[in-house]
Parts: sequence; structure tokens; C-alpha cells
Amino acid sequence: MNKQEWFDKAKAAGFAAFEIGTSRESGRSLTWYQGDMDTFVTKQSASTTLRALTAAGRQVVITTEHPEELDADAVLKKMAETAAVITSEDESFIREPAEALPAASKYHFVQPEPEAIRQALAAVEAKLSAYDPRIAQVTDLEWEEESAGKEVDNSRGMAVAESGCAQLLIAGVAAAENGEVKSEFRVEVVEDLASFDADTFVKKLCDEAIGKLGGAPIPSGAYPVILEKEAMTGLFSALSGMFSGDLIGKGISPLRDKLGQAVFSEKITVTDDPRLPELLMPVAYDDEGCPTARKELVKDGVFVKMLHDTKSGARMKAESTGNGFRGGVRPMGLGIEPGEKTLEQMMADMGDGLVITDLAGLHAGIDHVTTDFSLQCSGYLVKGGKRDRAVTLITVAGNFLDMMKHVVCVGSDVEWKYRTIAAPSIAFESLSIAGE
Amino acid sequence: MLEKAVLEKYLSLAMSSQADFAEIYEEKEINENISMRDGLVEDVDTEEIAGIGIRLYKGTQSVYAYSHASDEAAVLPMIEDLKAAIGTSDKTASVTLTRVEYENRHPVKVDFTKTPLADRVQLLTRATNAAKEADSRIVKVMAGILNVKQEVQISTSEGRLIGDTRVRTRLMCEAFAKEGDNLQSGADRPGGGCGLEFYEQVTPEEIGREAARGAIVNLSAVDCPSGRMPVIIDNGFGGVIFHEACGHSLEATGVAKNQSVFAGKQGQRIAAPCVSAVDDGTIPNAWGSENIDDEGNFQQRRLLIKDGILQSYMIDRLNGRRMGQASTGSGRRQSYKYEPTSRMSNTFILPGDSSFEEMFEGIEKGLYCKKMGGGSVNPITGEFNFAVREGYLIENGKITKPVRGAALIGSGSEILMNIDRVCDNLARSQGMCGSMSGSIPTDVGQPAIRVTSITVGGTANE
Repeated sequence: MNKQEWFDKAKAAGFAAFEIGTSRESGRSLTWYQGDMDTFVTKQSASTTLRALTAAGRQVVITTEHPEELDADAVLKKMAETAAVITSEDESFIREPAEALPAASKYHFVQPEPEAIRQALAAVEAKLSAYDPRIAQVTDLEWEEESAGKEVDNSRGMAVAESGCAQLLIAGVAAAENGEVKSEFRVEVVEDLASFDADTFVKKLCDEAIGKLGGAPIPSGAYPVILEKEAMTGLFSALSGMFSGDLIGKGISPLRDKLGQAVFSEKITVTDDPRLPELLMPVAYDDEGCPTARKELVKDGVFVKMLHDTKSGARMKAESTGNGFRGGVRPMGLGIEPGEKTLEQMMADMGDGLVITDLAGLHAGIDHVTTDFSLQCSGYLVKGGKRDRAVTLITVAGNFLDMMKHVVCVGSDVEWKYRTIAAPSIAFESLSIAGE
Repeated sequence: MLEKAVLEKYLSLAMSSQADFAEIYEEKEINENISMRDGLVEDVDTEEIAGIGIRLYKGTQSVYAYSHASDEAAVLPMIEDLKAAIGTSDKTASVTLTRVEYENRHPVKVDFTKTPLADRVQLLTRATNAAKEADSRIVKVMAGILNVKQEVQISTSEGRLIGDTRVRTRLMCEAFAKEGDNLQSGADRPGGGCGLEFYEQVTPEEIGREAARGAIVNLSAVDCPSGRMPVIIDNGFGGVIFHEACGHSLEATGVAKNQSVFAGKQGQRIAAPCVSAVDDGTIPNAWGSENIDDEGNFQQRRLLIKDGILQSYMIDRLNGRRMGQASTGSGRRQSYKYEPTSRMSNTFILPGDSSFEEMFEGIEKGLYCKKMGGGSVNPITGEFNFAVREGYLIENGKITKPVRGAALIGSGSEILMNIDRVCDNLARSQGMCGSMSGSIPTDVGQPAIRVTSITVGGTANE
């Protein structure tokens, strides 16, 4: 599409500014089942978002996958009519261009030939199946490659383009014994399939699955609990909206009116860094073209900064933090800073208690206004500082803000992998468990 | 949508390989999201999605390619990629398509694309006002309306050419009630597979008042106790229990690969004798209905469980091959960016013969779940969880104080066996179901059911 022509026509139609954002994705994936290719997918998609800003600061957004089919004059007329319906007093913005240093991922991917993918998946499947008689089935085995890119151009001279890529190997197994079945899966970022350590991958996955067997509930009550990094990351991700300056400004974030106050234990520091090299696709600019940066959101337990895009920032008389992504204010590279102890040391310190490794129902079992949660979970008991039997079909309940004030220890084991939000294992004084 | 002759050319080309079946899915969707905060219109966003997905089978192997571009320059390389993946051959195939016509079961009276924007905004204003007027403690109201019009066309190497237009609308209202520092929310989100005439049956005022009622109840709710206890789950969205605990495990996606607790159990007892359940994608203008599935097969009413005995699974074409059974018209997908797989439509437990009062008889201490939140299930293990959005204690057969923060957990095969009473008050409710082939609209539903014992995870430290 001729972007300059759109900018000129938007100006002629009376708009104060006009933005064209494009995102592209392409990739392929291959799944493997019982010794052969199961499915193969190749994909390509592109989406263009047109954002028009009126002189009064009202914005109208149209997203299309086929911008070349649009009649600019008709679209602009419709956008003007739509803008007239918007009554919110909140002002929207289209930004002036600003320079940022490029952001680079630590990963350097080598794309494998299709035959190498088949051979690797066949080998992993064989190793999984042969690992232990209790590994009853390989439930998932997939290779995934993805490239993504974005462009942000606007009538104020903005012209930003970024891209990134990823390669993942995903496997799942079912472990079974005495009629009991447990499942586990694992995702690994693979830079070069030729040097992929399949044995370690298989061992970790199968040991996790087998370790879940023989689990049973425990009596209801309050237990010292370590939320292992995967579970902690899940819970923290589900509640990451609390840092959104948009939700805080609207008065529905649990951190409303809390800036400058101690909201977590002093052991907790939270940062957001979209430029983090550990991310698969770090970004130098957000989707408004605003440069991104590393920020401390919570410093030693004190809530010091919230995330903003340009609109939410203006509402609270603050600058954008470079967190204006598709769909609104979003964290990117949001993490709880790691401590110094390993999970084993944390268990030794705890003595007797519970380690929770899996949380389920995170999309439903949390009240995002109060941060009360009650979630199905599983894990294992710790006795005398050592891993004991598996625990399953219990729930853990609490209030996230309250829980984060009673932190015993923050672990050292942050793992970003394919995620944009990560947390280490954290030990808590006590959480409410419902079981037998 | 592509012309018949063009589709025939592409399908013939695709079948000139080792593939034994080919399918082309075309889609064009327009959706509109309007959001309102405290009576002021915040956003009016429209989105157009259009693309093509081509799929080939060889036995139970499947290869799929999709693209937003559907011109020849995009499609021909896709077909070549797919042929290379599934295996090339010297075979020359010729596909002739015949268009399948049928009567539309889901007619639309008021098409949102043909009404003034102000009319849709007015619906949100009405819901907002009703919520605000319901109680002086309502301090904030968010409202939104989603309108979708999706056109699909599916053509296959078996010569079938068929299309469908799906129109859906859903109004969401969330109200926030405040008393001192206590801020609680309540929500209602009904919708239908129809046009804006939906709001004549379910008025925006009812939606706004229901959201406000939930928020007010939660203000006085106390922490829920934990432990195993009898639970009554009321109708409507309470059906999420069946959806999560059993529905997903009856999808061929898991069953075909023996990755479901219900695999190989057809004809066997999997539920208490008082339980019968269906998945019915044919209900006129229901949220989860459509004329045809996303593989071009007619939607059906599937009897899943009759008097506790497993009758049928929900089966898509590919998994049907693996199971040696025909598709049940259950192949669904969010968009062309997903391969279809077996999915639910409108899934619910059929009404029983207990009155609402009889449900509570003999319960000394238990939990009454009036409204459920969402949940999830691991189909391999059958373990499920879901959140109670509005719950009350049952004490000596009576509903007493409201509780919050409860979750119900268990295993699907166990809970189905432990249902001992089914009420006569069947109702359905709307949701979005996420799975391998994306997020799709589904109805959940049931009459009130009583489960003799289930683990309740509460926030009270007792």
C-alpha cells in the first residue's frame, strides 16, 4: 500500500495524524506420532492496523489483512463518522519519531532442513518411548519455526521496522502405573538442531512425568509452600495486568492508589525490559513506535513505576514507558529479580512443607480486582528438606498481594525460554491448601 | 470467495500427489468491538480477517498451509509445499465440484453491518444505566458489544462445495461495587448466533442489572471453606462443569490417540444413570450453532451420554479416519489460521425430574454454586478445575451466606458417577472455548445438578 498517499488523504479528510502498523508472521511446524510425520503446517499472515486521530484527540482503529483492497476515501469517511460517536474524554496520540538502539536476542538460530527435523523428532520419540516402562505414550512431539516482524509508520515521520524469529521443540508424555495416568510437557528453545541435547531433554521430561505418579491429596490446612518457577511464573503472568497504568487509571487494578507504597516483601524487585536479550524477540520499539527501556516497577517491595502507553500515560500525566503493544498496555520482559538460592537449598531451609510445580485454571480461578485466587495444583511434599511423595488434586488459595508480603526466600532459577514474563521459585510462609 | 473453476484447478493440482483427500477452506470475517466505560464510548474497533487454508491427507497424515493472500501467486507455492511434504507422485487427478444448497437454520433479522453505529452504542448505554441504577454502591460499569459476521466456503476433493454465513452478537457488562475499601465485581455476558434482534429477547437492562446484582452479592461474601462436600451447581453457565470435566475428553482429538480417559468406553457406563447429555450444533440461532462445521459437513445433534452410558464422541474428519468412524460434523476452528479438529458446539446435560427444592434435601453442609466462572481440564488425566463466581453455603438444606474464592476440582470420570440428582430447570449460557484449533463460541448448559462429594478449594483458613 502507498502509505504516504494514505497520510495525505487522511490530512485532507481533516485528521490530525494517521498511523499504519503492520505485523507479519510466517513459519512452519511439524508434528510426529508413532514413527512418522503426523501433521505439517506452513503459514504466512499479515495484518495492517490503521489508526486515525482527530484534532480533538479521538482515535478510530481499523484492522485488515487486505489493505490493498481498501478504498482510502471511503475508509476515511467511515473513520470520521465513527470518531463522532466516541465520547470518552481520554485523549489519544500518534507519536513523533524517536531514536532507539536496536534490541538483539541472545539467540542465533540455524534453520534445519526438513529431513533433519524428521530425524531429530524420530530420535526424540524413540528415546522417550525407551526411557522407562512407565512412559506409556508420547502425547505430543512438535518442531516449530516462526518469523515475525512489524512496521510502524505514521504521518509525523515515524518509520520503524523490527523482526525476530524462534525455533522450538515441544514434547509431551503420559506416564502410567497401576491405572493412574499423569502427563507432562516440555518446551525447549533450539538454536541449532545439530547440537540439540536430546538425552537431557528426554531425561528432564520423563523424570517430571514419572515423579507425578503415586500422588494423592494431603489433608486441608495451611502449609509452608514453595511455588516452583513454572507455577510462580504462571501465577505472576496471570496477574501481570496489575502493573498496567491503564487499569490503574481506570481504578480496577489492585495496585490503584498504591504508587510509592510497600506492596510486596522487601525481598521482591520487579523489572520490565522489552530489550532483554533473553527474550526470543526483544523489541527496541513498542507498537506505537515509542522506544522501549528497562524499568524497575517494584524496588525492594515498593511499587515505584507502572507501565504506560501514550494514552494511559497522558491520563495520569506521565510519559509512555514504551509498553504500548497491540491490545493495550502490556508488559514485555517482565520479571521478578532472582535471589541466590537454588530450589534444593530452599527446600532444605523449609524442612517440611509443599512444593507446587503445576497450577491449573489460571484464566478462571483468580479475581483480578482483589487478587484472591483458588487454583487446582499439584507438586510434592518436602520432608526433612528432601523431596517426598507426589501430591495431586489439591487447591491452593490465597490473596496474591498478601502472599507477596510474606516471602521467605526468592530462588535463583529464573528461566525465560519462550516467555515474555518470568519468575523464579519463591518460598512463602504459609498458603491455604484444600485436599482431603 | 474463489470461483468454482479456480477451486477445481487447485484441488486437482493438490490431488496430483500422494494425497488421498484435499480440502480448501476460505474465510472472510468482519468483527466489531465497541467498548464503553461509565457511559462514555471508549473504542470502536473493526477488524477484517480473510484468508485461505489448504489441507491434504494421506491416510491419517495431514499437511496444512494457510495464508492471508489467496491469489494464484500465493496459492500455487502453498500447494507445491504441501505436495512436497505429503509426497509427490506421477498421478494426475481431476476434481469436479458440485455446490451443495440447503436451508439456513439460523436466519438473521437485524444485520449489524446494516444498522447505524449509534444503535449499537445505545444498547451499551442501556445496559450501563441499568447497572448504575440498580444500587448506589455501583461505582463503575464497563460494557462492550461484539458483533461478528463470518462467511466460509469449503471445497473438497470429493466434489463438495458448500458455504455458510455465521452472524453472532454478544453484550458484556461488568459492574464494580464498592463499600469502604472493598471493591467487588460482577458480570453478565449473554449472546446468540443471530443479529441484533437478540436484544429483544435478552434486554440490555437485564444484562446490566444482572452484572450489578453479582457485584453487590460479592460485597457481603465471606471466604469459602475448604474440603470435600456435597455441591449443587445451578443451571446455565454451571454447565461449564460438563464442558470441562467431560466434554473435552469426549472430543476425538484426544480419543483417537487414546489420550482421553473416555477412549474405548463407547457403550459403557461413564456417568450416573440420571445423566444424559448432548452436543447440539443445530439449535436455531444459538451461540455455538452453525449450519455446517468448518470441514463442510452439516452440524448435528449428537447424543453423547444416555442414562449414564457413553453413546457417541464428537468427531472431525481426520480423527474419524483414525477411529474408523464417520465425522459427526464436529470439525471447528477459530479461523483459517488453524487446522480444524473436533470441538464442542452447544453442549449440555438434559433436564431431570427433581424440583429445585428437592435438590437441597438432606444436605447438612454443602456449597450451592449459583454462577460459575471458567475452568480447564487435562484430557489425558481427566483432572479438571473451575472457579465459582457466585456461591453460597448450604446449611441444613437451606441456602445461607454468600461465599467467594471457591474452586471445584476433581476428575471427570469420578464426578459424572457422583451426580445423584438432576433438576428440571435446563438453561444454556455462552462462552468462548479455547483448544488446539483456537477460540470458538460454544454454549454450555445444564439443569441444576447435585454432586454427592467434590473437593472445594476455598480461601478460608479452617
